[in-house]
Amino acid sequence: MLKVKAGDLNKMGLLFERYHRELFGFLYHMSSNPDASEDMVQTVFYRMLKYRHTFTGEGSFRTWMYHLARNVVIDSAQQHKRSARHHDVADYAERIGGGPMADEPLQKEQELAMLEKALARLSAEHREVLVMSRYQELKYEEIARILSCTEGAVKVRVHRAMNELKKIYLNSEYNR
Amino acid sequence: MSTTDKSIACESARLSLPGWLTDELSITDRAALDAHLAQCPDCRAELVASQQLWQQLKAVPTPAPGPAMRTRFYAMLDTFEATEPVAPPTIWARLRSWVPPMGSGGVGPRLAYGLLLLGVGVGIGYWLPNGRSADIAYQQQIDTLSVQMQEMREMMMLSLLENPSATERLRAVSYTKDIGEADSRVVEALLTTLNNDPNVNVRLVTLEALAERAHDPRVREGLVQSLTRQESPLMQVALADVMVKLQEKRSLKPLRQMLRQEGINDLVKTKLEKTIRELS
Repeated sequence: MLKVKAGDLNKMGLLFERYHRELFGFLYHMSSNPDASEDMVQTVFYRMLKYRHTFTGEGSFRTWMYHLARNVVIDSAQQHKRSARHHDVADYAERIGGGPMADEPLQKEQELAMLEKALARLSAEHREVLVMSRYQELKYEEIARILSCTEGAVKVRVHRAMNELKKIYLNSEYNR
Repeated sequence: MSTTDKSIACESARLSLPGWLTDELSITDRAALDAHLAQCPDCRAELVASQQLWQQLKAVPTPAPGPAMRTRFYAMLDTFEATEPVAPPTIWARLRSWVPPMGSGGVGPRLAYGLLLLGVGVGIGYWLPNGRSADIAYQQQIDTLSVQMQEMREMMMLSLLENPSATERLRAVSYTKDIGEADSRVVEALLTTLNNDPNVNVRLVTLEALAERAHDPRVREGLVQSLTRQESPLMQVALADVMVKLQEKRSLKPLRQMLRQEGINDLVKTKLEKTIRELS
């Protein structure tokens, strides 16, 4: 990234190749919408280019990337606040067709869909720590750097997020 | 263990559960948690539930991004590169990539390097004045533009001064603040307004605008001459004030002339006498 900052914009291609999947994964689990996530990946990389001078090289590139990505998620959430729609599981079922899920029993599939919906109903604050920890496999230390808080605060947040998720998920199971 | 102690111990154990799931507990925390779990069935059940949920979460699939995303990214990168001015470091990086890495060879390669650097220096010498001339051209363009702006303001002001509406004329006078060095047309127009405008407010504002340009000898002279032409007591007093402010000794003669005028307002008379005292 420091090379990009110094003017070698071609190096951005390398960064894209290395990180776009991870970034897409984060944005997908934050938005539950693959199309919007692709748009957001594009926006994050655009902002990296535009604001490359703000990358100091002190923290890691990954931390900086998540900083930008979180802002893009917030911006996009504000934009779609009124027309908020949760992406339906059926929408992406074709996209992941052939994946490990295809052969699994229907019930399991429904459970996962419900869990995903429960995740989508979490507050953004709780959702992001779970996504970072579970899907992005970031350590608490890294999450703390991204969120600019202490590791202890991250632990408490993950704990609360898990409790909230359990509550929502179990409720939806009972109401099935 | 009392109930309170137990609930505190449970609370602390549950806070450690996420760390247990991600295997991020320190050895001491882990030992403490294990010890607590061994004797607390509630927390054990909680751990099992959390573990199940945690595993299920991982099973939620993440779709792969579509192939169009890569295409869009590279298109964006190209557009960005095309619109961004090439930063100097790129030139440096290119230069470095042209120059083969310095080997441990003898004098030959070093001499070649020396000559190359000399060439680069001469090149930069040729290149720099070009940069400066571009700057000069840019500056000239800006100068031309600001001159044109000034002319436009003057034109607008002059035509507005002719407007029958007093409000418009007031606006015209206020424009003069934006005009830097006024040319003689503007000064003349302002003096004419000062002496002949039917509206006393317009005349007062004009006087204010002219007082700000009193460093111009034409303006000073016009102001002195205007003294005997003003009939409104308001204008006479305001002009007298300006004369004191400018310490304009040439105004003494017209001021005395005004005092001799018949039917002069008593207040104005006192003011004029005071002004004459202050100036002489």
